[in-house]
Amino acid sequence: MQDAVLAFLAKEPAHGYHLHARLRRALGPLGESMNRGQIYVTLARLERAGLVVGERAEGLPERPERKVYALTPAGRDRVAAWLGEVGWPKPDLAEFHLKLAAAAATRLADPVELVAAQRRELLRRLREVQRAALAEPAASGAGLLLEGVVLRLQADLRWLDACERAWSGAGAEAGGG
Amino acid sequence: MGSVVLAVRLALADVRRHPAQAVMLLLAVTVATATMAVGLSLHAVSDALYAQTRAATAGPDVVVLSGESGPEVTAALASLTDRPDVAAHHGPYRIVYTDLTTRDAVSSPVVVHGFAETPGPVNRPLVTSGRWVRPGGTVLERGFAVALGVDVGDRVTIAGRSYPVVGIAVTAATSIYPWGAQIGPYGGPSDYTGLAWMTRSDARALAESRNLPVTTAIDLKLRDPAAAETFRHTVADDHPVRLVRSTFRSWWFTAQHDKVILRNAQPILVIGSWLLGFLAVTGVATLAAGRVAEQTRRAGLLKAAGAGPGLIAAVLLTEYLAAALAGDALGLTIARLTLPAVAAPTASRIGDAEPTVTAVVAATALAVAVAVLSTLGPTLRAMRTATVTALAAAARPPRHRPRLTALSALLPTPLLLGLRLTARRPGRAVLQACTTATTVVAITVLLTVHAQRERGYGLDGSTALPNLRGLHDRRLMLAITVLLVALAVVNILTFTWTTAMEARATMAVARALGATPGQVAAGLSAAQLLPGLPGAVLGVPLGFLVYLLFGVGDSVPPRLSWTLGAALATLLVTAALAALPARLAARRSVARELGAEAA
Amino acid sequence: MTVSGAVIRARGLVKHFGRGQSLVRAVDEVDLEVPEGQTLAVMGPSGCGKSTLLHLLGGLERPTAGEVWVAGRRIDTLSERDLARMRRRSVGFVFQSFHLVEELSAAENVELPALLAGRSPREARRRAMLLLDRVGLAGRARHLPSRLSGGQRQRVAIARALVNEPLVVLADEPTGNLDTAATLDVLRIFEELRAAGQTLVIVTHDERVAATADRLVSMRDGMFVDDTHLAAARPRGLGGLLGLGD
Repeated sequence: MQDAVLAFLAKEPAHGYHLHARLRRALGPLGESMNRGQIYVTLARLERAGLVVGERAEGLPERPERKVYALTPAGRDRVAAWLGEVGWPKPDLAEFHLKLAAAAATRLADPVELVAAQRRELLRRLREVQRAALAEPAASGAGLLLEGVVLRLQADLRWLDACERAWSGAGAEAGGG
Repeated sequence: MGSVVLAVRLALADVRRHPAQAVMLLLAVTVATATMAVGLSLHAVSDALYAQTRAATAGPDVVVLSGESGPEVTAALASLTDRPDVAAHHGPYRIVYTDLTTRDAVSSPVVVHGFAETPGPVNRPLVTSGRWVRPGGTVLERGFAVALGVDVGDRVTIAGRSYPVVGIAVTAATSIYPWGAQIGPYGGPSDYTGLAWMTRSDARALAESRNLPVTTAIDLKLRDPAAAETFRHTVADDHPVRLVRSTFRSWWFTAQHDKVILRNAQPILVIGSWLLGFLAVTGVATLAAGRVAEQTRRAGLLKAAGAGPGLIAAVLLTEYLAAALAGDALGLTIARLTLPAVAAPTASRIGDAEPTVTAVVAATALAVAVAVLSTLGPTLRAMRTATVTALAAAARPPRHRPRLTALSALLPTPLLLGLRLTARRPGRAVLQACTTATTVVAITVLLTVHAQRERGYGLDGSTALPNLRGLHDRRLMLAITVLLVALAVVNILTFTWTTAMEARATMAVARALGATPGQVAAGLSAAQLLPGLPGAVLGVPLGFLVYLLFGVGDSVPPRLSWTLGAALATLLVTAALAALPARLAARRSVARELGAEAA
Repeated sequence: MTVSGAVIRARGLVKHFGRGQSLVRAVDEVDLEVPEGQTLAVMGPSGCGKSTLLHLLGGLERPTAGEVWVAGRRIDTLSERDLARMRRRSVGFVFQSFHLVEELSAAENVELPALLAGRSPREARRRAMLLLDRVGLAGRARHLPSRLSGGQRQRVAIARALVNEPLVVLADEPTGNLDTAATLDVLRIFEELRAAGQTLVIVTHDERVAATADRLVSMRDGMFVDDTHLAAARPRGLGGLLGLGD
């Protein structure tokens, strides 16, 4: 979530509620449970970490909602690093989805490229896990667990295929923003 | 009723899509039925031709001949005319035995009948060209004239003297050429002899000029023609006739003698027609089996139409039956056209010829049998299966044959493939062997027929005048053999094509695994050759046996080298023919072949 | 042995089907080099031309343009006869629909390429039994394909592909018709082959199969769009993959 918020600020500074609206739109039905408080908490954390800086709008009392947040250079670095990162989140795919949306909206990276890179990484992981799984005797507990990981990775790869098709086809439509 | 209409409609649609099979069946049945109709009608036609000649020439019921001549003989023969059962007579007349030589120095024995210039009430030879006898000229019997190649206006030498041929005629009083002499000189045995007429005085002069043998004859018409055969016995007690050592020839006997020349022709044709029908069945049955398998792929469609396996079989039967009956009609027409030539190898008789009712019925039965037998296998299977899909499933995958597989592993690749292909469908292998056997049987019989040596009809048995019976037999046998070979060729192409289609997937896999197209083509060829081998081996002795069964007299076997050579040639041609479709099939890219069968 | 160690090389490979309006560019300008001992996976959506590519590499299909070398020998100009001979020695095929001969037992199926290559029946049978043992089907040598499961049939097909010790094994969607358990069996065999140094080219749309490869090529519309080596750049503990010790 943190990184996604940072990424959405990459294009231009924005209010908290603005960011909230964008994120919710990007997540669709899955985002309905997200409330604004979470955004402000995240923004406060980011500000403490020195990745964003909040500016009060002219002539308004000092309240977080009124602040306009912008990226610091450190924040920009972090965004770049995050986009290039191929770590894979566990069950929650929202982060990757947001990454693609952000990349498309901010034109910082090509979503299709991101998908391809992620795919490569997952395939490498699949390879290792599968090899380990095959080396284990058939019905062992470890083998079973590894098998589970393999199947999940396979499912994720299928989804990445779908992402690639979607983002190379409709392009900006899919992510919104 | 609806299913009948449906069956007919499906049959028509199928024929339009695969005309080749219907045409093949039609042609094969045409040939088989024509042959059978002609063969079975021969004797009846011969009788009919004799009857027409007899009617046109007022043929006698009995001819009485005496080996001697002289006034007592003449008087004795003439006394027969007083009998109450004799209605009319001609003669007694003189018959002189001598030789005739044509302008081309072809010689033949001849009997010269001395006849009046105006014909009598009995035995009035019908002049077909030129005119009747006049002093100084001679009239030849038509069969004799055609054999000699002599026409009106030519000159011939009889007993050393030259005579012009003033006319050509036919008669029913004697058998057909070359049995113009009913008895030999002085009553002894007769040789192949032609018949000629001269005026009575010319005949006498001829006989006296060289002191030639003379017999005397009288033609009688009885009140009851049916009593002609027993006439001899009726007059047995009569005195003068007995004294003169006479021979009685009834019209019935003469008519029977006509058929001697057809002695071999009928077996050749009838057995030939069975063999043709057999080959037709073997070829078409293979196609029929393949068609059923193809039909059941449209199972869904047919099921929707409420069809069961019975309908599929009915469609097939309808199609083949229709083609067979069409072939039957065509064959009978051909029989009608060729019958005169086949039933009358000499030109001695006149009249029209038609296939008999028996022959027509038998030929039609043959046509129906061919159609039914061809569809027998698939029909039986269809009746035993409950649903169309079950029929499709029961397409009978080939059985596992570990011993044959192990044996084939020892052979070079083409034979390996060929043996395994043969083993897939042993039923078809039997059909293939039968085709080869039938062909070799026919060729062996042909060679045997050609190996026989007969006496020619010329002087002293010279073959300057060919033996017409032997010639006729050989021609018929050749025609039958050519037809059989043609059908066998079609069969071989059918077998190979069917095998190649069925084995497409396996051959594609073999090619993917490293078999060259040449090896695959050779394998398909070998798949024809391997069953053909026992067929050819069996065919040679079988052929000779067939000949022995209907051949008479001393049969000369053909030269062994010829028969073995023929068997070998059959096998080689089989292999070559099989290689044709195989080569075509092997040309396509392997990927295409594999993909085509992936479904 | 081979020039530059490449078992298979392709330059400018093109395969067109049909003409005019119905022209299909199944393979469109493909360059490829497969070094010895590599396991290459070709992935792509259906209809992208990967099976056609495999057929071209194995000489089952002739290219419209371009060149193919197998073991340093140019094969796109060979006659059908020489292509068959080449396949005997150098290429083993594994197909999606197995393509076993229905009326032959497993052992008879496996020994067939050896017989076609001219080996004695005894030698061919010996090799066949050896390979059947290697794929774990020694006890089913006498079974007909109809009595074998899908996975077992494919294993027989793999054994058949190996009987002539080919330079490369070409597999076209080998797990396409198999369930999960059978797929695992086949993957196990592929792993063993890879470890033993066999050169493999596998066309697949199954990620798990692709994951066994050293190198992955993605194909779309007849062209290569990606070419990655999957060997891990840095060894990573498997724990990390499971989110442990984060």
